[in-house]
Amino acid sequence: MSDPPRDLRQLQRWMQEVITSADGIEASLRSPAAQQWIPLSPSALEQILPRSRALGSLERLEVYHRAYGARLRECLRELFPVLARTLSADLFDQFALGYLQAHPPRSYTLARLADQFVDFLARTRPAGDAAGWADFLIDLARLEWAIDQVFDGPGVEGQSWLAADELGQVPPERWPDLRLVPVPCLRLLAFRYPVNGYYTAVRRGAEAPIPAVEPSFVALTRRDYVVRRLDLGLMEYQLLSALSRGQPLASALQSALRETHPSESVVGQVEAWFRRWSQEGLFWRLEQPGA
Amino acid sequence: MPPARLGLEDLGLGVGLRSVHFPYLLRHFPPVDWLEIISENFLDTQGRPRYVLEQIAERYPIVMHGVSLSIGSTDPLDFEYLGKLKQLAHRTGARWVSDHLCWTGVAGRNTHDLLPMPFHEASLRHVVERIRIVQDVLERPLVLENPSSYVTFADSTLHEWEFLARMADEADCGLLLDVNNVYVSAFNHDFDPREYLRAVPAERVVQFHLAGHTNLGTHCIDTHDGQVIDAVWQLYRWACQRIGGASTLLEWDARIPPFEVVHAEVLKARGLLAPHEGPAAGIEHDGLDRLRDAGRPAVPQPLHVVAAEVQ
Repeated sequence: MSDPPRDLRQLQRWMQEVITSADGIEASLRSPAAQQWIPLSPSALEQILPRSRALGSLERLEVYHRAYGARLRECLRELFPVLARTLSADLFDQFALGYLQAHPPRSYTLARLADQFVDFLARTRPAGDAAGWADFLIDLARLEWAIDQVFDGPGVEGQSWLAADELGQVPPERWPDLRLVPVPCLRLLAFRYPVNGYYTAVRRGAEAPIPAVEPSFVALTRRDYVVRRLDLGLMEYQLLSALSRGQPLASALQSALRETHPSESVVGQVEAWFRRWSQEGLFWRLEQPGA
Repeated sequence: MPPARLGLEDLGLGVGLRSVHFPYLLRHFPPVDWLEIISENFLDTQGRPRYVLEQIAERYPIVMHGVSLSIGSTDPLDFEYLGKLKQLAHRTGARWVSDHLCWTGVAGRNTHDLLPMPFHEASLRHVVERIRIVQDVLERPLVLENPSSYVTFADSTLHEWEFLARMADEADCGLLLDVNNVYVSAFNHDFDPREYLRAVPAERVVQFHLAGHTNLGTHCIDTHDGQVIDAVWQLYRWACQRIGGASTLLEWDARIPPFEVVHAEVLKARGLLAPHEGPAAGIEHDGLDRLRDAGRPAVPQPLHVVAAEVQ
């Protein structure tokens, strides 16, 4: 009578530990994480995984070990194409490898693979002011991840959004209490570096140097299923942020003025912004109290 | 005995829907018999992939092919995932829902690889029980594919083909017979692919898969990155003669050429299956493909990330 088969859960836990380890295959087999499930030396691997005519057990298992890292790094490169191009292939792979070890994938979809990648980069940022390049990379990763989210998230395709003349139809005395409902695909982002311009240059294939530190602000939205990027000034960003948080128009404007202290009248500018926002479809509709 | 293909229709010759072909498909709506989607690419998206799928599903028969069911895992089944699968199947009018005889992770993780099972009575009971549950939830037969594999287990007491046949019978499910995977696994594990095909219960084969692979000399990897090699075409013809016609789909997941090239590749099956072709020749591992594949990166497929479109 032959021995009963090894418990399936034990076998799967062991195999998963071995093939997802960042170490080489032999070191992975010897690791406590693998040994706790099946205590086994690499030379005894054949007791579990027989060799083929052409390949030993170790080489056969290594196919899975190599594939795990390679396929997930490839996916991360597709999710962060500009970051991957900015870093050398080796450096990007090192970040990716570190991330995958810290946050192994748990979702059924690879679209969630990088859920914590930006946080991971921020958490593992080298200390000190000299590492400004790290802040640039984190900014760039944030932009690309936000683009991925807007691309895949809810949008307003097939629906109408707030037109410029709708505001004009509201009596001026009611403007202060108006609320503007943002489209669900609107994202407002503040960066330490001008990453949006850099992103554009790299996508065009230009040799773009890493820019000097300079705060920048970007709105992302989506039209016809394509993500659109809008550079914003500080006050426009502040006003959009306050409106998106649900603040009424007057209060949002006061918040933005408080934050930015403009040196001249902003009335004309605000009108131009409203026209731009309606052209770009940043807001869905107006809400009037009591209407 | 169940009816041929479990009573499911023969859809003809189809190709896998891939995002690089979205613009071409929406512009031309080419005369392809049917399209297979990677289910996970469409379960949650509210962007272009969903829109494209709606357009496609209005015009072509759709089949859903998943990679994350993890039917062989010892983790509990993910009922939220199954619920989403069911909704997507309803929304697209999917003709059937398939996945792989494999596990993809354990302890809450997903390696996003199709990991091999040991084949014995206990693992068979485990898989059969889970298939029955999945079929109850989906309210339709599940169709399971034989994946390519790169290791076997000393614990196995059944051949893969015996396991597959008993699994299909005991769970009353369908089979997606990937002929390329049979070839790859036969090469890797030193068995005769015809012995495998002879044992597959013909009436349960709902669909065939074809794909290219990479031959590294000592082993083959299921890379889905090129044309189907002659030996796999011969094996496919041999399988069709034994099993009968069934929906056939070509997968091409890396270094993907224009849609017309992918479509033309699967249409080769027409000429191959024409009566004047005569009986299938012997199937040998010809060794020629390994020369072609020297130095190529070899990552098992399918991967399934949809890249964002941005202005």
